[in-house]
Amino acid sequence: MKQIISSPAGTAVRVFLVEDKPGVRDSWVKLINSLPGFACANTCASGEEALRLIPAANPDVVLMDIFLPRMSGIECTARLKLQLPKLQILILTAVEDDELVFMALEAGADGYLLKRTTPENLRGAMLDVLGGGAPMTSEIARRVVESFRRASRHLKPAMHLTTREEEVLILLSKGYSNKEIASQLSIGTETVGSHLKHIYEKMHVRSRAEAVARYMTSKA
Amino acid sequence: MSRLQKTFRRRSPAGRAGRWVRRTLLALALLPAPVFGADTPPASTNWIFEATNQLGQWIWDTNTLDKQTCRFWKSFEIPRHARIAGAILRITVDNGYSLYLDGREIGRGSDWRTVTEYDVTRLLNPGRHSLAVEGFNDRLEAGLIFGFNIQLADQRVIEIVSDDSWLVVPGSLRGWTGRKTALPDWHHAIVFGAIHHHPWENWPFGLTTEPALLPITVHFWQAGWFQLSVLALLLLAIGGCVWLRTQLSLQARSQRLLQSERVRIARDIHDDLGAQLTQLVLLGEVAQREQPENSSVRTQFNQICTLARELSHGMDEVVWAVNARRDTLRDFASYVCKYAQVFLNPTPIRCRLDVEPELPATVFDLPLRRNLFLAVKEALNNAAKHSGAAELFLRIYRADRKLVVTVEDDGRGFDPAQSGGERNGMANMTQRMNEISGGCELFSRPGGGCRVVFTVPLDHQARRGWLNWFRRRPGADAATTQIQ
Repeated sequence: MKQIISSPAGTAVRVFLVEDKPGVRDSWVKLINSLPGFACANTCASGEEALRLIPAANPDVVLMDIFLPRMSGIECTARLKLQLPKLQILILTAVEDDELVFMALEAGADGYLLKRTTPENLRGAMLDVLGGGAPMTSEIARRVVESFRRASRHLKPAMHLTTREEEVLILLSKGYSNKEIASQLSIGTETVGSHLKHIYEKMHVRSRAEAVARYMTSKA
Repeated sequence: MSRLQKTFRRRSPAGRAGRWVRRTLLALALLPAPVFGADTPPASTNWIFEATNQLGQWIWDTNTLDKQTCRFWKSFEIPRHARIAGAILRITVDNGYSLYLDGREIGRGSDWRTVTEYDVTRLLNPGRHSLAVEGFNDRLEAGLIFGFNIQLADQRVIEIVSDDSWLVVPGSLRGWTGRKTALPDWHHAIVFGAIHHHPWENWPFGLTTEPALLPITVHFWQAGWFQLSVLALLLLAIGGCVWLRTQLSLQARSQRLLQSERVRIARDIHDDLGAQLTQLVLLGEVAQREQPENSSVRTQFNQICTLARELSHGMDEVVWAVNARRDTLRDFASYVCKYAQVFLNPTPIRCRLDVEPELPATVFDLPLRRNLFLAVKEALNNAAKHSGAAELFLRIYRADRKLVVTVEDDGRGFDPAQSGGERNGMANMTQRMNEISGGCELFSRPGGGCRVVFTVPLDHQARRGWLNWFRRRPGADAATTQIQ
């Protein structure tokens, strides 16, 4: 089930959609194409297909449904990130479930969106990740801080959070917006974004290291 | 049958004195020198005067053998309504004996040269009694000599002495010591002679006095009926425990069923309705975009989309409330925080969160999280409507085995005494917290912001589980899961 849609403008951001329900997929395609500066480059219905098609298509952003038949969106994200570390992946979820979102972020997703979000939010989120930022809710920020504190004993120093990164996370978890954090810490808003980006990367690296460690111990 | 030899007579004090004189003379004439030797203190010899009178004759079985055990039995009766003033029993057997009164062993003796004196006053009461002596002969001559003097309160005396009325119990009959009647094959003992008869001319020469015997008191806890009833009670208690246990496990099973049913409903809502609502939003958005700008159809589509989003959001709340997989303290905190942020987002109030790190993933039961959530919602609503605050702090932490949630704003505040409970929703919040045995306090003063503190005991659940297990039925619990 492939749909090649010609990009309305040459400079448009090319979006790749992974969604298993045909009706929903069609709506998303139309919606993405209606956003100025965005074009849906291709779609597919399963994680397996996505692994085959995406490296060739080389899109700017991937929108990934979390519940896919067989291979889940989270696993698909982890495998894609191994191949294409620079690929921007946004997870789409019907219900806000911190556990799932956190798992997706650990797998390497660059952000997540509720499916019922407004087209404006969708556009904003995609522009955010493309601009090197990484949106994070206070809830996820709190979980991230906790997960790093728990894991800190058996982490390599390079994988620890820096003091500044932890400060950003703590302010975020207290409900401060990126702009407020920037003024609190006397840094630029973009710097806050890049800090978050680094945190995401560390989380991803850490979860991969943990997966390897788990694999090794289960083998031993 | 047994021939009881009982003597009832009234004694006069004068007659008693006369007998004493006679007895003394007799004893002096009969007792040879060695008895009064240096090694025998004279004081102890007094007994012999009375003994001569009160002890019977030496008796034994028809045959005397070495290593012989011989059983003697005799019964007697104490008249009805008689009160016993004293009952002294003296005995010795060449070579040894065990003495029983009404089947109870009251003494043993192995030194036949001394007479032993037993005080059995407390053991007797009106009615039939039996005396039993198991005598043992080592070698050569054997004999039993015995005297029992029972003084009744009305001056009557019952005397039982060893004589040929005693019966010898043959063989090894069980329980013979406690028998009240004799059997036909029991034969009479034979008499050898009075005290100091050959070969016991010089013996017995001593008297041992045993302390007065006391009746065996049977305490109520030693009584059969008591032990039986305790046993019955115990069995009843064990039965009760087993029954309770079954009830509990039955209840636990129905709880599990309910839980899994809840999860199923939540999943159905999430999977089917949620997906379709999302689709509705998407379709609405696409349709909206196909209409020309500022057309009335486009506005209507926009309204449909907004409504569908709200519906989807409301459904998330339902799913959260009934989802058993997400009923921990931690999930509660994250849900309330998220709610507060989304709720305050369109208002000028900035929402600040202060959540205890590493909240445990312990179960936070449905009625608790629902009521606490609704109370917090009310407080947030009040702040948004009335406070005019710039910042609102939502704090969630544990203290003293309680969960504390505070909603604090820096708004204009009010005087809690002045404003009615209706206005600030205090009554509503208090009622919600009372339902889950929690607390709700409000602190505010004009110009000083407002702080609402909710507390919920965290051990509430375990306690309620045991106390109200019988009240919790699947139907009752299902009713509470209805969303307001």
